Amino acid sequence: METFLGKIKDRISVNFDLEKSSIDIEKKRVDVQIRKEQIPSILRYMKENMSFRHLMHASVVDWLEEGKFEVIFMLWAPKEKIRVFVRTKLDRENPIMENLDMIWPQLNTYEREFKEMYGIEFTGLVAPEEFILEDWDGPPPMRRDFDTEAYAKDVFSERIGREDAQDVRETIAKRSGEVIPDFAKKHSR
Amino acid sequence: MKREKATTLYFGPQHPGITGNMMIRLKVEGDTIVKATTEVGYLHRAFEKLVEKRNWIQSFTLMCRFCVPEPDPVENTYARAVEMIAGIEIPERAKWIRVLILELARMSSLLLWHAGQGHSLGLYTMGQWSVGDRNYLLDLFEELTGARIYHMYVWPGGVRKDFPEGFGERVLKTMDYFEKKLPDYDNLLFENSIFQKRAQGVGIVSPEQIIEHGVVGQPLRAAGIKSDIRIDDPYEVYEKLKFDVPTQTDSDIWARALVRREELRQSIRIIRQVIDKIPKGEVYTKLPNPQKWTIPAGDAFARTESVRGEVGMYLVSDGGNKPRRAHFRGAAYVHAVSLLEDVLVGANIADVSAIMNSLGTCPPEIER
Repeated sequence: METFLGKIKDRISVNFDLEKSSIDIEKKRVDVQIRKEQIPSILRYMKENMSFRHLMHASVVDWLEEGKFEVIFMLWAPKEKIRVFVRTKLDRENPIMENLDMIWPQLNTYEREFKEMYGIEFTGLVAPEEFILEDWDGPPPMRRDFDTEAYAKDVFSERIGREDAQDVRETIAKRSGEVIPDFAKKHSR
Repeated sequence: MKREKATTLYFGPQHPGITGNMMIRLKVEGDTIVKATTEVGYLHRAFEKLVEKRNWIQSFTLMCRFCVPEPDPVENTYARAVEMIAGIEIPERAKWIRVLILELARMSSLLLWHAGQGHSLGLYTMGQWSVGDRNYLLDLFEELTGARIYHMYVWPGGVRKDFPEGFGERVLKTMDYFEKKLPDYDNLLFENSIFQKRAQGVGIVSPEQIIEHGVVGQPLRAAGIKSDIRIDDPYEVYEKLKFDVPTQTDSDIWARALVRREELRQSIRIIRQVIDKIPKGEVYTKLPNPQKWTIPAGDAFARTESVRGEVGMYLVSDGGNKPRRAHFRGAAYVHAVSLLEDVLVGANIADVSAIMNSLGTCPPEIER
C-alpha cells in the first residue's frame, strides 16, 4: 500500500508543483497542497486521468491566526479505494478562486455556500445570489472573527418583559431569594 | 401582446408533498416542468458555527439534530472522526452495538420512506402501517438509549450504555414481527398497480448525472452500481457480517423502491447476526474530563452509509478542546439541490413529490 500511495503522490508531483504533501497508510490517504491557480487543472486531471471520480466532500477552514482560508477537496477512487485530499490556501483579505462547477456540477452548491458563509469569491460562478441566508447584510457568518452574540444583540431586540431574564439562573435566584451555589456561578454568564 | 408560455409555480415551503422545510421554484409549461430551482433557508440552525464554541463532548449532543429522520449515522460519523484524530481505539463490543444501532436506524428510516413514498402518490394506508410499526423500533431505542428519536448514544469512545437485561431477545422478537409483516407491505405498496405505474420510468437519473453530481446511496445502486460504504470503506464490524448489496438497473423511482425493499430485509439479516455474535466486554473507552479534553492537531474525514447514502464529516482539530471546524456532508446536499434541479426537468408536476422522496431529500442536511 505504501508504494502504491507513493506512486500516486509521485504521479501528481510530476505534473503539478506541490507545496506540501504527505501519505497516511492507515487511512489510505494522500494529501497534496497546491497553489490555487492549479486547482482546476489538478481536479480535472484527478477525475479524468486518475480515476478519482467521486468528490466526497469539499470544505473550507478559517485559519484566522495565519490570515488564510484553506479550501480542501476530498476525492475518492471507487476502484482503488484511496482518498486524495487536494488543499489550497487563499489569502484571507482577498479570497478569490476560479469557479470549478464545470468539473463536478455538485461543486456549484458548495461554492454558493462558501461564498455566503466565508465570503470566498468564485470567478465565473453562475448561481442565484442567496443560498441559505435571507436578506443578510452582516459579514460572512462562518468566519471565525464573526461575533455571533454581538451581532444578535445589535440586530435583534429583547422580547418585552424578558429584559431581565438573560441569565436564567440569576433571575430565578433573584425572584425566589435563593443563593446560587459556587459551582453554578462559574458557568453563569 | 406576446403571451408568456411558462408559469412559475412555488412548490413549498407549505405544501403537502414537500419533504420538509424547503421550496422548489418550478417553471412549468402546461404541467411539464421546464426549470426547477431549489430554495432553502427555512431551517438553518448554524450547528457548524455552534460546534466551534463547544467542547468535543458538548458538540456530540448537536450531531443527532443534523438530520431528523436518521440521527444515528451522523452521531456515528462524528464519533469516528473524533476517534480518528485522537487515535482512540474503542472496545469490540461497542463496535457491534454501533452496528446494531445503525441498522435499527436504517430500518426505522426505511419505514418512514415507505410512508413518504406512499403519501407522495396518494397511498395513505401505507404510511399508517409503516409508521405504526416503526414505533416498535422506537420502543427498542427508548429502552436502550432513553430516547425515541434523538438518541445521543453513539459518542466518541464507544457507546453510552450496555444492553439492558434481555434486550437481545426483545430485538429478535421485534425482527420476527417485521418478517411476518413485510409480505403485507408488498401487498400494500409494491404490488399496488398505482404505485407501479407511477413509479416506473419516472425520475430517471442518468449515468452522467451520477458522476457529475456525486450521487450516493440507492440512486447509485438503482443505476446498477454496486456501491456501499459498508463494503467499500468498511467501518465498525461490517467486514465480519454477511449481507448483500441489492442493485437494479432502471434508475427510476421503481428501481430505487425495489433496492430499498431489499435493504430492509438485509438490515434484519444483519441485526440477527449482531445479536448472535456480539462479544462480551466493555462498551466505552474512558475519556478525560470533557471540559479539559484536548485532541492533537489534525483532520479526518469519516463516512457512514446512512439510509439515503453516504454521509461524511470533515473534522479539524487545532489541538484545543473544541473542534476548529466540523463540516457535514449529507446525501441530500447534492441530491436535493443540483441533482434534483436536473432530474425534475421534463417531469410532471404531479411527480415532483414522488421524485423528491425517491432521491431522499432531507432539507436539514442541506442547511446544517
